[in-house]
Amino acid sequence: MIGGALPGGRRIDLVVLGCALALAAIGVLFIASATTGSPRFEGLAGRQAILIAMGLIAMVCAILFDYRMLLKFSFAIYCASLLPLLYLLLFGERIANVRSWIRIRNFQFQPAELAKIATALLVAYLFENEDDARLHASTIFKLGAIVGIPAFLVFLQPDMGLVLTFLPLVFVGLYFGGLPARGWVVIGVIVLMLAGGGWFMLKDYQKARIGTFLNPDSDVLGSGYQVRQSKIAVGSGGFSGKGFRGGTQSQLRFLPVQHTDFILAVIAEEWGFLGVILVLGLFAGLFLRALKLAQTARDRGGVFLILGLTGMMFFSVMINASMMIGLAPTTGIPLPLVSYGGSSIATTFLAIGLILGVEYRRFANA
Amino acid sequence: MLRIREDRQALARRIEVSRVAVGTVLSLLAVAYWTVQIVRGEYYFSLSENNRIRAVKITAPRGYVLDRNGATLVENEPAYTLHLYRREAKDLNASVDFIVDLLGLNKERVASRVERGRKDPEFVPIPIAENLGIEEVAAVEARAAEHPEFAITVSQRRLYKHGGSAAHALGYLSEATPEQIKSAGNVYGVGDWIGQKGVESAYERLLSGATGERRVIVDSHGREVAEEARLEASPGQNLFLTLDLKLQDVAEEYFKDKVGSVVALDPRTGEILTLVSSPSYDPNWFTRRVTSSEWSGLIENPDRPLQNRAIQNMYSPGSVIKPFIAYGALARGLVDPEARIFCPGHAVFYGREFHCHKKGGHGLVNLRDAIKMSCDVYFYNLGQKLGVDRINEILTSFGFGGPTGVDLSFEKSGLVPSEEWARSRRGARWYPSETISVSIGQGPLLVTPMQVARALSGLVERGRLPTPHLFYSSQDPKTGAQLRYKAEFHEAIGLAPEKLAIVEDGMWAVVNEAGGTAYGSRVAGVEMGGKTGTAQVVGKETTVRAGADKSKLQDHAWFAGFGPVKDPQMVVVVFVENGGHGNLAAAPLAKALFEARFGVAPKAPDPAVRAAAPAAPGIARAARPVTP
Repeated sequence: MIGGALPGGRRIDLVVLGCALALAAIGVLFIASATTGSPRFEGLAGRQAILIAMGLIAMVCAILFDYRMLLKFSFAIYCASLLPLLYLLLFGERIANVRSWIRIRNFQFQPAELAKIATALLVAYLFENEDDARLHASTIFKLGAIVGIPAFLVFLQPDMGLVLTFLPLVFVGLYFGGLPARGWVVIGVIVLMLAGGGWFMLKDYQKARIGTFLNPDSDVLGSGYQVRQSKIAVGSGGFSGKGFRGGTQSQLRFLPVQHTDFILAVIAEEWGFLGVILVLGLFAGLFLRALKLAQTARDRGGVFLILGLTGMMFFSVMINASMMIGLAPTTGIPLPLVSYGGSSIATTFLAIGLILGVEYRRFANA
Repeated sequence: MLRIREDRQALARRIEVSRVAVGTVLSLLAVAYWTVQIVRGEYYFSLSENNRIRAVKITAPRGYVLDRNGATLVENEPAYTLHLYRREAKDLNASVDFIVDLLGLNKERVASRVERGRKDPEFVPIPIAENLGIEEVAAVEARAAEHPEFAITVSQRRLYKHGGSAAHALGYLSEATPEQIKSAGNVYGVGDWIGQKGVESAYERLLSGATGERRVIVDSHGREVAEEARLEASPGQNLFLTLDLKLQDVAEEYFKDKVGSVVALDPRTGEILTLVSSPSYDPNWFTRRVTSSEWSGLIENPDRPLQNRAIQNMYSPGSVIKPFIAYGALARGLVDPEARIFCPGHAVFYGREFHCHKKGGHGLVNLRDAIKMSCDVYFYNLGQKLGVDRINEILTSFGFGGPTGVDLSFEKSGLVPSEEWARSRRGARWYPSETISVSIGQGPLLVTPMQVARALSGLVERGRLPTPHLFYSSQDPKTGAQLRYKAEFHEAIGLAPEKLAIVEDGMWAVVNEAGGTAYGSRVAGVEMGGKTGTAQVVGKETTVRAGADKSKLQDHAWFAGFGPVKDPQMVVVVFVENGGHGNLAAAPLAKALFEARFGVAPKAPDPAVRAAAPAAPGIARAARPVTP
């Protein structure tokens, strides 16, 4: 078994850590490529490296701090994480038409990223205690409330991409909590009715308005333009790419927000299909290994903590990678660990730390 | 606790399922990327190349147009256009105010241009003002540091050096219409200049050269980053015209205050030495973008300056048709040239009285006298003998009723009536009395000045009808290699030299004998022959009733001359609308042109030109009879 055994039965999983670090390194590399020659974005790669270092510190803290303690106080942590979201709605300044950032001097932070982790903790805590083989209706209701409240607050900001990243927690709870087949059917029918019924009651201009409301950055040049340019970037990369910093789509700036949401398109253009396989492979290694750790975690809280965090990350990767080639609408979900973005990278390493922390204490008595 | 253990196993199973699901989803994504990058990779690669590479046209310098002696008629000059780059502007309104103040432009016009330009992508520069003067260019350049949003581009603009002179021969340039772009097979794009009318249109391909192309790498804002490849344009050919600027100037001067046209041909080759249609227009208007008031001024002018009167307007020929009819009658043996007819000043045909232009009559006249004095009564009799169908046959053989084949577009064919024409086209049978009118060049007979010039050339060249043309030679501007026009004759119409001599003698007498209708226009030092004509204005009575301008009701004046009579080197046809009598209004210009061309003593014929027009075999020039 791959893994670093430490004195006192402590274990560090090198696969998860290695994959995460490799992805972050690729991210820094391509942020540098994507921002070449752009005075506006100069030095972002260096900033990202600093943010990764900060994330690593947070990760080490998360490993060393007993996650069981965090689970015990998860409700308080959860409530505390909602406060900045409320603050944003009441006093937040709009950045890019969205109130999702808290700005302290030169530093911006998205509190919703932390709220995601706090919500994952509380969901894990919920399922540690609701441990019946069959899922109770009351558990479903609690799950819905726990995820629904922060998701709704983010929805009001409004940041649709972030709202979506909360949803995997519901799925994780329902599926791993043991929702029977007919339960899925009922939920499916309800969701379809809500979505379909709501949609058909709307008038055309309202649909269009909601479209731009949910996705405000789509109509700068039209989201069709973004997807088209992204597909051209990805497709033109071919098998082995145009070479690092050799992508015409990215270097001549045909790609939209290329150092954040569309970083995978830059990788695909410059390193080709091989680069995509490398990135997807590293993510596969990270997720499959994390799920393995979930299987062997010593307690149910740890299992659900890993599942929740991994589920959220996997969902983001799936949507982001689909977005690049037009398989999913552009929703402003970044590629975890790779895309530029301080709050995202720091909290993702925090999540990695929590996953590693579960493994760290697998054989510990404390 | 048994319950929990069972749960843990179920949970482990679900996690195993989820691992398979995660692996599957990531594999499917890899497959999706495979299809985009490998299967459709080429397609997207070409799209990315299209994205980054722009083809920028390099316009070829258009060939110059020169006269036969190398005097420049049309050349190119630099034109400065002011563009606004929106991306560079901090505040568009401030920029507009700045430039309006600096150059004294019309603020509303500039603002509306900016407004129109906003519809285009941001990187497309907005044209603000064209044709800046050199001081304005300097003023803008001096402030380039503070106002980088303004830039000046230089392009080549067509310059017609002599303004409206020979405008109808030269034509003009304007932006290609969608139909022209389509019919040229998309060689031209929107905004490209293309020749309209004249030689600019007829020799467009020669003059325009081949467009070059620059392939440049641009960023997403369309800014040029680098040049990848360059294909130089190959400049258009210089075009030497058959026109002689010296003669052209004489004719332009004469027509300054007249309406009408002049055609001077070299009868041996068909080279057009002079071509004037008056009123004219300045072709430079079009390259400086005509304002709508200028355009409506051109279009609404009742004298229609855009029409080339030499080939597009059809007139009654009047008496200039008489030599052709005389020859026709002679050739068919229908008239004895010495037989005299008594002209009392009028005659009755088919119950209608026809007048001679000379009220008292010419007395006894033979054919030569009839031409010399333009006796109408003599030709009434001739026409009656011939009949309209034979007149049709004669005139058609001289090229009337059909295009002359001149290298200009929109040429009209004129009309030579016949009984068949009256039945099928007019829908009313031919009246014999109409034949009487036709025999002196009135009635439904219509000709263009160019047709008269060509027919007279055929007559004085003993039956070789030349094709009038403006193309003298073209010259490659790089190599200097010349391409000469090869004279072709539309047809050789077999004429009987001894019969021709009688007609020519009559035409000689018109100018050179006392009593000839153009005796006042005889040229010192060179013998000119010719024929005057006076054409009644069609629909005169109707116009009078409508209360039209009286000057518009005056007769049209014709003169068709050639010379030197012994060896014709130039044919001149002058037509003055509402000019009155041909001898007074038209013949003086022919005289002036012959004087300008030959001076006092006619020059020996240019051997080079002679070589280009080999004499048709079997036609020897007969000795010209000299009548005392």
